[in-house]
Amino acid sequence: MLSEGILLARSGWEAIQERLFFLPPFPDQLDSLALFSLLLVIGLLVGEWLRAHLGWPKVIGYVLAGTLFGPSFLGWISIEALAQIRPVADAALGLLMLEIGRRLNLRWLFHNKDLLRATFGDIALSFLFIFFFAYLVVGLTPAWAAAAAAVTMASAPAVVLITVEEASAQGQVTERIILHTALGSAAAFIVFAIVLGVVHAENSHDWLNAVVHPLWVGIGAQAIAWLIARLALLVANLLPKKSLAQVFTLVATALLAVGVARMLAVPVFLTLFMMGAMLALIDTNKSLSYTNLPDGHWLLAIILFVVVGASLPWQDFTWLVAAQALGLLVVRALAKIAAQAWAGGNLPLVKRLLVGVGIQPLSATAVFMAYELAGLYPEIGRSALTLPLFAAAIMDLAGPALCRLALVRAGETKKGSNGGIV
Amino acid sequence: MSESLTEFKHSQPLSLGVELELQLLSQRDYDLTRGATDLLGSMKYDGRFGEIKLEITESMIEVSTLARTTADGIASDLEGLRQTLVSQCAQNNIAICGGGTHPFHSWPERRICPSERFDAFYDRYGYLAKQFTVFGQHIHVGCTSADQAIWLTQALGPYVPIFIALSAASPFVDGVDTFFQSARLNAVSAFPLSGQCPELNDWADFVEHFSFLKSCGIVTSIKDLYWDIRPKPEFGTVEIRVCDTPLTVGLATALAALAQCLSRFLLRTRPEFNTRQQLYVARYNKFQACRYGFDAMLSDPVRRQQIPLKEVLVELLDLISEDAEELGCTAWLDQIKDAVDNKTSDANWLRGRHAIHKGLNDVVRESAQRFANMFNMAAEDEKR
Repeated sequence: MLSEGILLARSGWEAIQERLFFLPPFPDQLDSLALFSLLLVIGLLVGEWLRAHLGWPKVIGYVLAGTLFGPSFLGWISIEALAQIRPVADAALGLLMLEIGRRLNLRWLFHNKDLLRATFGDIALSFLFIFFFAYLVVGLTPAWAAAAAAVTMASAPAVVLITVEEASAQGQVTERIILHTALGSAAAFIVFAIVLGVVHAENSHDWLNAVVHPLWVGIGAQAIAWLIARLALLVANLLPKKSLAQVFTLVATALLAVGVARMLAVPVFLTLFMMGAMLALIDTNKSLSYTNLPDGHWLLAIILFVVVGASLPWQDFTWLVAAQALGLLVVRALAKIAAQAWAGGNLPLVKRLLVGVGIQPLSATAVFMAYELAGLYPEIGRSALTLPLFAAAIMDLAGPALCRLALVRAGETKKGSNGGIV
Repeated sequence: MSESLTEFKHSQPLSLGVELELQLLSQRDYDLTRGATDLLGSMKYDGRFGEIKLEITESMIEVSTLARTTADGIASDLEGLRQTLVSQCAQNNIAICGGGTHPFHSWPERRICPSERFDAFYDRYGYLAKQFTVFGQHIHVGCTSADQAIWLTQALGPYVPIFIALSAASPFVDGVDTFFQSARLNAVSAFPLSGQCPELNDWADFVEHFSFLKSCGIVTSIKDLYWDIRPKPEFGTVEIRVCDTPLTVGLATALAALAQCLSRFLLRTRPEFNTRQQLYVARYNKFQACRYGFDAMLSDPVRRQQIPLKEVLVELLDLISEDAEELGCTAWLDQIKDAVDNKTSDANWLRGRHAIHKGLNDVVRESAQRFANMFNMAAEDEKR
């Protein structure tokens, strides 16, 4: 019906074009700015409606809007349009990764060794549980089972940050959810690079690349992050603290990090996360610590989740895959909750369990990692990665609600914080 | 005995106890953070230096020393409590500091601590309860009898401005310089039962006054009286409640030492005073001390003239020097003398750091470093 309408409009347009010389050719594609605005408005409307009427986190609304209008259902957002808007989503996720890196206080780990244990527990148990589930139950090859585990082992920084901001949450459960999400994501990126090497070796028997690639990724991201964090601080020291000029410095250097990472084929999100973590660690004068990202990055985040929603492969839905994805999520949830219960440190058990629930989200980083891998090995990747993508699809809807539930149950949210954009 | 007014517990004469309300801060931007309940819940502490407990909002924590006979005992308790809190807070990614107000926190963000008492307080006072996120030091001085406590409560009254000026550590509120040395007390004076103890002759008078207020439906317990100085029957003490929490436990101890020496001096010399006349000028003098600190001009209702607070203070320190020697407090009072001579109040220090940094986040960060005894080390690191 939509295509019929477009055909009709095209023929009418072309008929007039013969008389009106100034008319451009019939626009086949929506202008990127118009697309950006439409996605923003649609995402906002659905998010606000769900928040106001059902009390759901707005992120769910953004994802639902993308899913509904994306290629899997109505098709109003085409695959080409998704590719067109992808850099905006990348920028949004990059800035959120930078922000979660900036919130990482590594000194906390030195003061509280239990947290280190909980982090290692979360990373190791999540990877192993998912790996063995994918290998033994689903029947993937070891390499692709490891890829599925690498993609889905960590929580979702973007979802966690937005949920925490939306709920104005503050407290020990919130702090620990952010910490474990940040560290888990960093670990997932590294494991992903290693797995990428293994998959590559398995497909091409090129062990040199299998070894050197993860090193390139890890050391490269760290080097770029360190250099650009130093540069950011050098410039920031010349400017008044918390000034607009410092905000621009932060954004500009983040974009520089994106550019350099792309030039050197180093994962952008890992680089930005590390840049954020470096800034938090080496900024002893607190030159840039009190400077926040501009509020506009929350608008970019809406685009991010609409794009994520539209990228979810609902067209590949089968009951078997859905059951397998649910199974994966169950073992993943068990791993995360068990890690916190066993090694969650000095918090009461109930609160440790809530931390385990709060780190359940799985979203954008997983989806983008999966598509990166699928892009490298299109013949195998797409089918092997259906499992983690479906798990992400389910968690994109359930994850924000679980994270919010944990924050509310912990009593760390601001009561009556309804309405408005986060 | 009036109902809900406990019997006055006699305590050791001139024994001391100190309560400090402290600020819980985010390590990220040094704004106030919610964390008191979790901090207490996760704390491994056996109570050897006194109590650590919740206060009205989740961004505050209160410590109280054990009852001690000497200021040195108080110093040792406060140091133990300080070390315990600094280390426990670090385990929870929280910083902690003194000071009478948080310079830039947003009071609507504050959360009332989960407790029946605090819920009732919030229910009764509404937004005032959240604005009451201010941080004070209370000093208890032990009395041998209820009548002595009432007498001392009145006798200490004229010295309220001295304690305010010495402890002033709240020049900033809502991110702006208030021009006050101690802006904290403005938050306290919003409460209907704040102010001064009325003219009372003895404990019987106090009981009658309390019964009157109770029968009028104004108070239910002595905790409802927010007087600058009040008797505390369950501890057997007189409680001085006007001090800002200092930035260091050293100054908090020095203030306790001053209270002890002054109380001894008053009880020993039993000077004549006219409470009724003092009450006429009490609010004015309190305002002067809050606004100007050491530069305040106090009104003397007897001599009917204005006297610089600094002059009164220097004279007082001289008068109580013998008591200080007897009580082993000379070193603590020397610290106060130095502060008066050099006008080095915490409020002035906070303003000085603000002038250097041009931002309040750094001022609070350095206040936390001072509380943790890390300020000099951190300053050297920054220079490097």
